[in-house]
Amino acid sequence: MRRVYAAGVGLLKVDERWEQSIDSMVTQVVDGLTEVRPWKIDSIYVANAVGEVLQSQANLGAIVAEDLGLVGVPAVRVEAGGASGAAALLAGYQAILSGLADTVLVIGVEKLSDATPEEAVFLPTLSERYDYVGFQGVTEAAIAAMMYRMYLERYELPQEMVAQFPVLMHEHASKAPHAQYQFKTTLENVLSSPIVSPPLRRLETTAPADGAAAILLCSSDALSTIQHEQVVELAGAASSTDVVFPMEREDPLKLNAAARAYYEALARPGISRDDVKVLEIHDSYSILASLILESIGYSELGASGLDVKKGIYDYGGKVVINSFGGLKARGHPLGATGVYQAVEIFLQLTGRAGACQVDGARYGAMVSLSGLGSSAYALIMKER
Amino acid sequence: MHAIFRPPVNWRHRRFRYGLVVWRCLNCGAVHQYATRICRRCRSNRVAEDRLPDRARLVTLTVVKNPPVSFEKQAPYIVGLVEFEDGTKMLTGITDCEPEELKPGMELERVVRKIAEDGESGLIVYGYKFRPVIKRR
Amino acid sequence: MSKLSGISILGYGAYIPMFRIKAAEISRVWGLSESELPVVEKSVNSVDEDTATIAAEAASYAVARAGIDPSKIGAVYVGSESHPYAVKPTGTIVAEVLGVNSRLLSADLEFACKAGTEAMELVTGLVASGMIEYGLAIGADTAQGKPRDALEYTAASGGVAVVIGRSGEGAIADLEYASSYVTDTPDFWRRGHERYPMHGSRFTGAPAYFHHIISAVRMVQEDGYSLEEFDYAVFHQPNSKFPFAVAKMLGIPAKKVEPGVVVNVIGNTYAASSMMGLAKVLDQAKPGEKILMASYGSGAGSDVFIFRVKEGVLAKRNRAPLVSELIERKRYIDYALYLKARGKIRE
Repeated sequence: MRRVYAAGVGLLKVDERWEQSIDSMVTQVVDGLTEVRPWKIDSIYVANAVGEVLQSQANLGAIVAEDLGLVGVPAVRVEAGGASGAAALLAGYQAILSGLADTVLVIGVEKLSDATPEEAVFLPTLSERYDYVGFQGVTEAAIAAMMYRMYLERYELPQEMVAQFPVLMHEHASKAPHAQYQFKTTLENVLSSPIVSPPLRRLETTAPADGAAAILLCSSDALSTIQHEQVVELAGAASSTDVVFPMEREDPLKLNAAARAYYEALARPGISRDDVKVLEIHDSYSILASLILESIGYSELGASGLDVKKGIYDYGGKVVINSFGGLKARGHPLGATGVYQAVEIFLQLTGRAGACQVDGARYGAMVSLSGLGSSAYALIMKER
Repeated sequence: MHAIFRPPVNWRHRRFRYGLVVWRCLNCGAVHQYATRICRRCRSNRVAEDRLPDRARLVTLTVVKNPPVSFEKQAPYIVGLVEFEDGTKMLTGITDCEPEELKPGMELERVVRKIAEDGESGLIVYGYKFRPVIKRR
Repeated sequence: MSKLSGISILGYGAYIPMFRIKAAEISRVWGLSESELPVVEKSVNSVDEDTATIAAEAASYAVARAGIDPSKIGAVYVGSESHPYAVKPTGTIVAEVLGVNSRLLSADLEFACKAGTEAMELVTGLVASGMIEYGLAIGADTAQGKPRDALEYTAASGGVAVVIGRSGEGAIADLEYASSYVTDTPDFWRRGHERYPMHGSRFTGAPAYFHHIISAVRMVQEDGYSLEEFDYAVFHQPNSKFPFAVAKMLGIPAKKVEPGVVVNVIGNTYAASSMMGLAKVLDQAKPGEKILMASYGSGAGSDVFIFRVKEGVLAKRNRAPLVSELIERKRYIDYALYLKARGKIRE
């Protein structure tokens, strides 16, 4: 069976990059990858969630190919809401496994700082059914808040059990040079930050961010012909979908798509979740961190907060989550986020994570969601 | 930016938005807000037009303090999840009350309200909301 | 010509938005002394309510009381001076919300505060002619009052709908007489594209309100009725003085006017104003009693009606909220929230 490798990565600091547009961010991030030689690309996947709404720019495949001096190379934009980056990675993984490509460039790019505050609320809500949800002024944050309230009521928990996730994320991001928010925060700060939709507080959500990240994927054949510094194996990747509206799911607090995708991805290399020491999860809202960790089995139902308190998800614990701060603190440039997650695992498994380094990890994994879990993607990476 | 302000979009959803006309699967009971011939839950092709009742019970709620585009002038406003007697759950705006007055399990009644307007010159969009039942003596 | 037989009100429904602002709160901002306030408080529509939603809710109560299949309604007329669109009918929105058949006559009417009773006149004619079986006549408004203007204290929001059809079992009130008196009297107007109306101040009194209502009631007398035979008199109620003053001029005792007066607690609901009085009277009248009603619309005219209350009112009255229950459902807002609800905060 063919194997898939990541042979080079690049990322930009997640920030408000006022002076840059989508094309300049893409060229800058790919510039960091050109240490890989020869520069021969079979296919390009560009992940971007809302460019045609916010920048009035669709057809990013052809546009990016031209910007990179790669006219002629097949290129396409991939959109799966907040999981666009992970969806593009899966597409690249499949292209290489199929034998149709030996080198695939996966780029995630998103520029949200162009949005007004109201647009920044509106855009994530595009992942819900607009005609029955968005049209009423219901926001994605409001649905997340209702799930949050259900969670606290069902398990009779104080809000701090969920609200400590952002504290942990900011702690991790404080050592990550590419993170959007490198300051530490406290539980008191989180719980006294402005209410977005009760009980959800502002410091439990993400802010508009610009970012671009890129990964060069290649087959084992290609790996022997190209010059590269470090390599990790993409040992598994999978995706699943769920009922779109969380409240129509059998259990709104169970992210079944995430669980299915994660276990299918783990099954490719045949490892167990305990083999994973570095895990990137999709914490666009604090409550999603709890729900993901409980849905994919790292914590008992309702116990993820307790596990955070025990240090299970921090350095020295069972598995380090979001070692660079996750969506919360590294930042959530929507369509680029999944690629950031993969790049960060690459950095961990190649010993290039700097102050964020997790020691002794052979496997890293990521879980990325669109909407509130209506689709989920999981990737497993293996040290080589 | 908002699809609802496009005349055909607004128009084709009017029966659902004004009167909760839905398409129900006669096999499994699942409700679709759009005309469909195949149930999205059980794939049965026995789907017929139906109308959800005028009353429903509140499951949970929150408040939108950071509104999306076109809802700026209404913020803060309440949105919630309601459940009809057949078990169908639906998101809805909740009007004519303060969040503190709402308790899960409470009965709410459907009204038709202004959802949003496209500036001063575009379409005005109407649709269902729920509110506490008017007190009768 | 104006006497009718075989035509009845089969259902009626009122709707009043729940917000109230006290006149004293408005005067706190603009500095009127309490003794000059024309009402105690007025109703204010919520930010998600307009004439179409108010008309639809009132109409749904009217249809519920009538107990008829809405698809048999043959006309929906909405009278208002605050239609949501300058061009695009309110009536079609209301009809679609109610699930009325598309084989329908519908139009929006404008005649200041008598646009609703004008709708009643039209529907009555359509039923009498046999063109339709049932018709809905609606008066609804979210009336505009310019900040600091005298009208700001009274311009209110509300709606009333009546289902009119052939008499028979279940009639709430028989419509015995309907007529109208109009002249070109410019006491109140609003030009196109203007947000707020203008008015002639004291000119709105003697030559306008009083002249037209008195002239309309005189027609009733000329047609052989004695004012003594009426148990109730309902007049347009722009403030708490005018309906009693006009009654006094006509020699009608205040106790016959009192049951229909709501202006003190909800303000002037414009196209719904006299109809709100009628709804309030129907909420309490006994079968056999007679009601005289005279609306007033600036510009100017008065529609006059005579109703005889029927047995049907007893069974149907409680199928929908009473006016008094809608009045009791209230939440006070201050002037700032009033400006927000009314869209008076300009960017």
